[in-house]
Amino acid sequence: MSDNVDTTTIVNKEGAAPATCEAGTTVGLEDAVVQARGVERDYGQGDALVRALAGVDIDLQRGAYTAIMGPSGSGKSTLMHILAGLDKPTAGNVWIDGLEITTLKERALTQLRRDKIGFIFQTFNLLPTLTAAENITLPLTIAGRKGDAAWVDELIKTVGLGDRLTHKPSELSGGQQQRVAVARALASRPAVLFADEPTGNLDSRTGEEVLQLLRQSRDKLGQTIVMVTHDAHAATYADRIVFLKDGAIAHDCGRLGRDDVYEVIKSLEDA
Amino acid sequence: MLRVAWRSLTAHRLRTFLTTLAILLGVAMICGTYVLSDQIDSGFKDIFTNAYKGIDVTVTRKAKFSGEMTGATAGLPESMVAQVKAVNGVADAYGYVAGTGAVAVDGKVASTGGSPTLFFSYAPGDVSNATYVQGGHPAAPGQVSIIQKLAKDKNLGIGSKIDVITPGGSETVTVSGIFTFGAESSLGGSILIDTTLADAQRWFDMKGSVSTIDAKAEAGVSPDTLAGRVRTALPAYADVKTGTQAATDQTKQISDAIGGFLRPVLLSFGGIAVLVGAFIIFNAFSMTVAQRRREFAMLRALGASRRQVLGVVTGEALVMGILASVLGILVGLAIAAGILRLFAAANIDIPHSGLVLAPRTIVVALAVGIVVTLLSAVVPATRATRVPPMAALQEGASLPPSRFARFTRYIAIVVAILGALAIAAGMYGPGNTTSRLGTIALGAVFLFVAVAMVSRYIIRPLAGVLGWPLQRVSPVSGRLARDNSRRNPGRTAATASALMIGLGVVVFVAVFAQGLKTSFIDSFDRVVRADFIVQGKNFLPLPSDTAGKVQGAVGVQTAAAVQAQQAQIGGKTTAIYAVDPVAFQQVWKFDWLKGGTDAVLAKLGTDGVLVEEQTASTLGTGVGKTVTLTTVDGKQAKLKVVGVYRDPIMLNGVIMTDAAYQSIFTKPQLFMVFATTGTGASVSETQASLKAALATVPTADVQTAQEYKDGIVKQVNQLLNLLYGLLAMSVIISVFGIVNTLVLAVFERTREIGLTRAIGMSRTQVRATVRYESVITSIIGAIMGIVVGVVFAWVVTTRFAGQGITFSIPGVQLVVFLIVGVIVGIIAAILPARRAAKIDILEAIHYE
Repeated sequence: MSDNVDTTTIVNKEGAAPATCEAGTTVGLEDAVVQARGVERDYGQGDALVRALAGVDIDLQRGAYTAIMGPSGSGKSTLMHILAGLDKPTAGNVWIDGLEITTLKERALTQLRRDKIGFIFQTFNLLPTLTAAENITLPLTIAGRKGDAAWVDELIKTVGLGDRLTHKPSELSGGQQQRVAVARALASRPAVLFADEPTGNLDSRTGEEVLQLLRQSRDKLGQTIVMVTHDAHAATYADRIVFLKDGAIAHDCGRLGRDDVYEVIKSLEDA
Repeated sequence: MLRVAWRSLTAHRLRTFLTTLAILLGVAMICGTYVLSDQIDSGFKDIFTNAYKGIDVTVTRKAKFSGEMTGATAGLPESMVAQVKAVNGVADAYGYVAGTGAVAVDGKVASTGGSPTLFFSYAPGDVSNATYVQGGHPAAPGQVSIIQKLAKDKNLGIGSKIDVITPGGSETVTVSGIFTFGAESSLGGSILIDTTLADAQRWFDMKGSVSTIDAKAEAGVSPDTLAGRVRTALPAYADVKTGTQAATDQTKQISDAIGGFLRPVLLSFGGIAVLVGAFIIFNAFSMTVAQRRREFAMLRALGASRRQVLGVVTGEALVMGILASVLGILVGLAIAAGILRLFAAANIDIPHSGLVLAPRTIVVALAVGIVVTLLSAVVPATRATRVPPMAALQEGASLPPSRFARFTRYIAIVVAILGALAIAAGMYGPGNTTSRLGTIALGAVFLFVAVAMVSRYIIRPLAGVLGWPLQRVSPVSGRLARDNSRRNPGRTAATASALMIGLGVVVFVAVFAQGLKTSFIDSFDRVVRADFIVQGKNFLPLPSDTAGKVQGAVGVQTAAAVQAQQAQIGGKTTAIYAVDPVAFQQVWKFDWLKGGTDAVLAKLGTDGVLVEEQTASTLGTGVGKTVTLTTVDGKQAKLKVVGVYRDPIMLNGVIMTDAAYQSIFTKPQLFMVFATTGTGASVSETQASLKAALATVPTADVQTAQEYKDGIVKQVNQLLNLLYGLLAMSVIISVFGIVNTLVLAVFERTREIGLTRAIGMSRTQVRATVRYESVITSIIGAIMGIVVGVVFAWVVTTRFAGQGITFSIPGVQLVVFLIVGVIVGIIAAILPARRAAKIDILEAIHYE
């Protein structure tokens, strides 16, 4: 568990990055649960070559809530996919909890996904044929583990779904479905939870509920969270916001207010 | 993980139902076949056990082989009865004569739906199970007692007069009693007539002989012991068995005859249905797995291993397989019961016991249902495991190609070659008929699979061509339908292939049968010169004096009799025909081989024979060679081959003179009489006078040459219709397959359909699109089936060209099958089209 990083900043009205943002990257953190060095990702060949990531170095701290932002085409989703082991980089290395993952075989990756990584997707991705409760315990069922019943109960309480547990996803609202997804992701107590645009398909009110839930899990349960988002409001929930542009890290900031986030983004787009 | 699989099945009930149905019907047919044949076997077992109850030892003349045309054997001398009685331990013994013939009441033959009319002579002390309900056993010559069924059918009572028709001729007798046999009023549909010994001996040319001697053992003597003693007391040509042994042997004989024919035929139809089901399951699983791509990706992202994903899909297949098997067994029981009811309705009284659900039947049904379902789902299941976790974040519903996708072409070629090899091995190779047929069937399966694999390459052009007229007729729906069916050629191919199999077999049967009919008529026209053909009804022999009666009819110029028997030559059961060469030449034109001429007929004498081409090749003999003939009684004769002729269809066997026949076989057996009309006599007048001349021979069937040809063609057509009926099951299953595919396709295109509706497409147009796509798919299946069927028929016909079968395409029927394809498409589209039209626009657009 680390301390709450809570820094206020003063924005330079000329558009320069706020004081707490460095132009480079933050590496060499103690207790980094995810580390990346020299990560590159190319698509296509020759004339059609697209360089999505151009050499990214980053450390993500245990117990921190990190947001990754950037204009479209900045490579933020690509970076998250690679950090989460869903995709392999063209060059570079990634470590999760000290284990280098880019050279892992399928079976080891599977093990990783069971034990160390949790996911939340924009499109909820619940199994339509299972109830909410069954969806939550699905990772444990897959791993063949019983899990901690007390933990699951606490999750369910935290997530606030008590009376909807026996409902199927089609009978739940978008916000409720995403909350189920969050509970599912936390059920196996992963080392890091990756969230890809978790509020993308939700209205502002329900999006709010989910974001608060994520924040709560960081505060109360010490969960490490990495969230990709284009939503400035969502980013304000994070302890640290990393901005990408053109496949490289442009700014690495601490906690920002919403207007500050807008400023940074504008500066990225103008540049 | 099983829970995931189970939920997925229950969530989509229609889909699960249709997919399961595909294999269920095939399993049902297989189960039904076993249940039916088991019931029939058991029925016969009951009959024979009953027949031999109380008989401890039975003695007959040893038969060298069994054949349907061998008629009565020479029998045992009457004096042997006393010999048996004298054996130590015999409480009583008696002999009786048995034979087959026919019974006529008021000039009409009593029909038995194919079962024989059996004659037995009565012996005092007979322990048979006949129970008299009226009157008693025949006491004097000219009296008979009859089985209750005949009495009921023909309204007979004590004192009624009936005609018995035997090889000895036709005679009028009086009914002395009516009996039931055991608890039956008939014996498997057979008519039983009890006669006096003297009458029977006369009618069946067994003077001084009996067919069988039965003996009862004294108390304390076991049947086996007694049989041993009797055996030692009697000469070698006496076949001594215990009653139980005889019952078992006879049951086995019939069961082999029925089982040898009925079971393989019905099982192969079940096999075809199962094959069609396999295609449908493969297709259905491929589609649902593709649609659930995101779901599988998500499972993988959550840490499910590839094996667990495989387990989910395989688990679904397993559950469906079990469900299909269990329900298939129940439906199979219904099918067996239904078939028996059909037989009864057609007045064919096949003996059968109550329900027989043997463990073997259950095991086979479960094995087939489960294994086939699992095998069919294996490829889609494996492809499901290759969905990367990333796919959870992506749109689209197509699976990553399987590892072997690039090699489909080559795999298809290999499979096709294996299939062709198997078929060639079955057609030209060694082994008995059953194993060869099995090899051919396996080869056919391989070929079907290979064609299905390759068909995806022809789907695009073929669908383009077929869809073109639709597009002209209906610019929107037609165009969409045409494009849709070309979008996923693999899926269209798999769906069409299901129909291809059923229709392919139908077409093969139709073309082959057409060839049979054509070649029969060609062959007939080539060799038969007669205007009339007289044959016994139900292939019964005609009384020996029939030929004389025919010759005596007004208008008849020449009558030529043909006797028929069966004997073994070189260990092979062969048909033996006997004629008078002079008369026969008037009604028959020999098609000689190797420069033979009619002159050889003069060389026949009492030891010369003519051999048919196919028979000669089977027996390995030829002109100038000698063959040794063995009768059923064991008598042998050496014969010289003086000529070889070609007639694979009508008289395919060995022809000898009447004189030769008389010296070798004990009893005459008249098979047919050919007759020509004299010049100046009209055919119709002669026919009338023939019928009049044969009025006392009710079993004689008089036909003109044309009527005879038409009759055979009609029989082939009847058989064809039966085969079509059985194959219709496969076509129905493939209809379900098309429905299933369309329902899944509609589901998959929900958003697309919603969009087109949002921009103005009407419900009718949506329905039409689905319908046209269905019709395109089924016509493709029909075309493939017709092509495959014709080619296969051509191959098989060429193999048998030597036996006179020609290749002839029944054009009209093929067109009918094509139309059937269209109708299938229209019917299959009804449900999916309605579903498509009912899609709510808003829901569809937001559909994930």
